[in-house]
Amino acid sequence: MSKITIKSEVTGSIWKVLVQEGAAVKEDDVLILVESMKMEIPVMATDSGRVTQLIVNEGDPVSEGDPVVIIESD
Amino acid sequence: MAHEEILSELKQRREKALGMGGPDKLAKRVNQGHLNARERIDVLLDKGSYLESGLFATSHRPEVADRTPADGKIAGTGSIDGRLAAVVSNDFTVLGASSSVVNGKKIRQMREISTKQGMPLIFLGESAGARMPDRMGAAGRAILGQDPTEYQRERQAPWVTALLGDCYGSSTWYACMSDFVVMRKGATMAVASERVTSMAINQPVDAEELGGWRLHTENTGLVDVAVSTDEEALATIKTFLSYLPSHHAELPPVWAVSPESDAACQRILDVIPDDRTQVYDVRKVASCIVDANSLFELKGRFGKSITTALARINGQSVGVIANNPMFKGGAIDVDACEKATSFLVLCDSFNLPIVFLVDQPGFMIGLEGEKRRAPSKIINWMNALSLVTVPKISVIMRKSYGQAYLNMGGGRNSDAVVLWPTADLGFMAPEVAVNVLHGVKRGEPKFEELLDQVNRDSSAWNLAALHEAQYLIDPRETREVLKHLLRIHSVKLGRRIGAHKLANWPTSY
Repeated sequence: MSKITIKSEVTGSIWKVLVQEGAAVKEDDVLILVESMKMEIPVMATDSGRVTQLIVNEGDPVSEGDPVVIIESD
Repeated sequence: MAHEEILSELKQRREKALGMGGPDKLAKRVNQGHLNARERIDVLLDKGSYLESGLFATSHRPEVADRTPADGKIAGTGSIDGRLAAVVSNDFTVLGASSSVVNGKKIRQMREISTKQGMPLIFLGESAGARMPDRMGAAGRAILGQDPTEYQRERQAPWVTALLGDCYGSSTWYACMSDFVVMRKGATMAVASERVTSMAINQPVDAEELGGWRLHTENTGLVDVAVSTDEEALATIKTFLSYLPSHHAELPPVWAVSPESDAACQRILDVIPDDRTQVYDVRKVASCIVDANSLFELKGRFGKSITTALARINGQSVGVIANNPMFKGGAIDVDACEKATSFLVLCDSFNLPIVFLVDQPGFMIGLEGEKRRAPSKIINWMNALSLVTVPKISVIMRKSYGQAYLNMGGGRNSDAVVLWPTADLGFMAPEVAVNVLHGVKRGEPKFEELLDQVNRDSSAWNLAALHEAQYLIDPRETREVLKHLLRIHSVKLGRRIGAHKLANWPTSY
């Protein structure tokens, strides 16, 4: 078990948050959609585990590399 | 009787050499679940095909000659799926497979067989680095540099490395000269070990952080594929080699086509969303186009906005370079540029035609990219593309904006350009273009009219009307059209082997 910080790969705004704190997620699950370059760009889980913290809300601006979700990996 | 005596000595000496570093060290590996150096060769090569070279080689230093069977690097030739290959397998149980005078000669022999006879060189890495005290002092210096071609790579034949444990020194160098690198999770690749590094920088170093699989598959891109076991690593090497010729002067082998391959392309529209704002995974699109189950991705966790994969179309090996909107919307960053360039070099060197699948909003612009020399990466790629002599076919699926239109094979940068009706050939996103060209934003007067104008001008129909793309097709026809175009552009007056102008380009950028 370790704490994994999931980051946005692009600059844009948070379009949709698709998971809640406490949710179990698998590697490659889509956690958040970022609106950028007129596209809905997914932020995906890099590991399987449980969402322990949502750092952003819908509508928030994000920059490339900003942390958006914390996962406790399995 | 004399024969019997000498043959009995041969038998005894063989047994000793085959005993490697002794039962204790070998038992420890069994407990860790790792194969030993000889088992790895057995798993890799066709049964009964292996002939060892240098079984009786040992260290030249008398004090360790007796405990250096095969001098820690096991070398030989055999076959993989019936095709010849040269192998060096590092035996970590013998002085950490450290590099010495004698085992350096063994590596050199295998390298020469690979490049002069034309067969893959496979390096099974697990080594501690230079052997001490052999390399100490001025005498140690005199051992080094006896072969000025040691690090010369001209891609006469494919080189492959598996990183299967602690890899420092030669295992690392060979990985960095290889066309393909597979790593077992838990292995480490670095210039120097965590212990040496930690002493040098006077702070604790974690081996995984120093050179683990995540670092090399996600950040450095020096490893193509990470797997969980030795067996998987060896199977992955075989898969990689199945796409390649044995050497640069022959074409890759042609494989049987599984019957369900043609039907998959009829389902291609299910993968592409109707809504242009939605993304998709281009690997699913590529899987619909190439022969069933033939897509083999390289560097899948690195520079992910571009997918590079080996595949087959109608049994023929091809290299696929595809933008993946799933990551960064397909915007091409510095890592993706390096990945595309190294893949062009691989394909051109080993006679693999290149298929571009294009859907990209341009190069990723921003401060980070500029600091990492994005302009030079973009032009390196263009230089490589212009030197490629294998067939190049570009399929523009959706967006192809800006300079990257050329990098992805637009215009005369391919032998043929195929369009889907959904293709969009703007120089940037249409809405942004209206603002840049006319200073008009959404909601302001004339915006819709100007947007219409920009959209119309960048349509697939207009590009086809100018004959800048020669084929405008239903996406479901892509596989059949590619089969045809690959045949047409592979004829080359009977000279189907390329000029290999990139053969001495580096293996990383």
